[in-house]
Amino acid sequence: MKPIDWFEKLIRDLHVLEINTSAEMDRRILHDILKVQKECKTTKLAGTQPDIWRIIMKSSITKLAVAAIIVAIGLGILAIIDTGSKSGVAWAEVAKNVEASRGVIFRARGTSLRDPNDDWPNGYRIFWRSTAVSRMDVYRGGQIYRTIYLDYDGKTTIGVLHDAKKYSKEAMSDQTAHADKGWSDPQGLLNLGLSLEHHTLGQKTINGVLCEGIEGTGPDGSTGRVWVGVETGYPVLVEIEGVDGSTGTMDQFQWNVDLSAEGVEPEIPADYEPL
Amino acid sequence: MIEDKILLWKMRHGSSDALSRIYEKYKSDLFSLANSLLHDLDAAEDVVHDVFVSFVKSADEFQLTGSLKGYLLTCVANLSRDRVRARKREVVGMNKTDIAIPDYKIPSQALISAEELYRLREAIAKVPYEQREVVIMHLQGRRTFRQIAESQGIPIGTIQSRYRYGLEKLRSLLDGEVEK
Repeated sequence: MKPIDWFEKLIRDLHVLEINTSAEMDRRILHDILKVQKECKTTKLAGTQPDIWRIIMKSSITKLAVAAIIVAIGLGILAIIDTGSKSGVAWAEVAKNVEASRGVIFRARGTSLRDPNDDWPNGYRIFWRSTAVSRMDVYRGGQIYRTIYLDYDGKTTIGVLHDAKKYSKEAMSDQTAHADKGWSDPQGLLNLGLSLEHHTLGQKTINGVLCEGIEGTGPDGSTGRVWVGVETGYPVLVEIEGVDGSTGTMDQFQWNVDLSAEGVEPEIPADYEPL
Repeated sequence: MIEDKILLWKMRHGSSDALSRIYEKYKSDLFSLANSLLHDLDAAEDVVHDVFVSFVKSADEFQLTGSLKGYLLTCVANLSRDRVRARKREVVGMNKTDIAIPDYKIPSQALISAEELYRLREAIAKVPYEQREVVIMHLQGRRTFRQIAESQGIPIGTIQSRYRYGLEKLRSLLDGEVEK
């Protein structure tokens, strides 16, 4: 007899009941609803305030980025416990470097089959992250499109919608601030690292930097590859492949950046209106 | 969610591109839910169609307090329930002869064989509707028990019981087939 959680896993995690729509069906429905929209000609502006925190955490690329960092550090921590690396990278040092880094800036790109807004492969996002602040700039077609900024100490969230010339500012709850800071919680990462199986990928040169890689599988079945600079001891490239076919790539890392001196808080142009 | 707010805002200003993007973004989730509940592709298409038509017509009247996806999923579930009730009132014997075959997405085969998968999908359709609805909404639609309870105006304890009974029923249906 199959356990109940087997059924739960199949439906929830393996999406066994999900189906594709047909092109013909899409055409039929889109034809009708666009016609109805044309007839309605609505003009009323929505008056609701956006919940920036939920927006960010529901973003698939954000999840991928956070997951990638966790995998990166988790794998590094796991390697500490491993029985000695024979390679050029001291993985214990990598984990220490990442953990001690005051802040990190990186580029994230990704695709998710479930979110056409990811705009792969043309779009990308630049992240600034530390335990005090988090900022994400979304670029499309080479132009900045969104800025989401979280100030954990000041407990403020700011969203700037450059294409619509709108912005939103709101208070962040203690719970939210605490939850997002969790990405750098060493104990939590250690626990996660312990649950990962991994193997080494050897060495290769990435953008002129000699790197060594590790590949691991996360608890949800996603695969993560972390490439670390042999000389610097910091991650250079992180690649994630989700079980649903989604992918994420993080590169252009700048480690140990003092974000308090970087002026990462977005400036809101005078002609932008509140959302 | 901020993307949805913007898309909704643009849609209310008459952007057909924004409406198309909302449709593209959620069509698979909505169609899958409707098909899981109704076990009928044509009926599922009708439900998704009607939900989007209502959504467009009422877009400037409702205030989005949760996620757009959650709102649309709840609409699909409510309309599917209405269709099932209406179906029960129809004359028995009008069996369809041209049943379309769903184009299921291909999951990882690590946990289940193709045959098991087929039997599972067939078994889910045999779970009593009220239980199936909760199981599907919770596991496939990712709605919490509280959200399901609120959308149906039913105590959360009842929803949790239906979920438990639904999974037990599913298991007994499959075990029964194995024993044959």
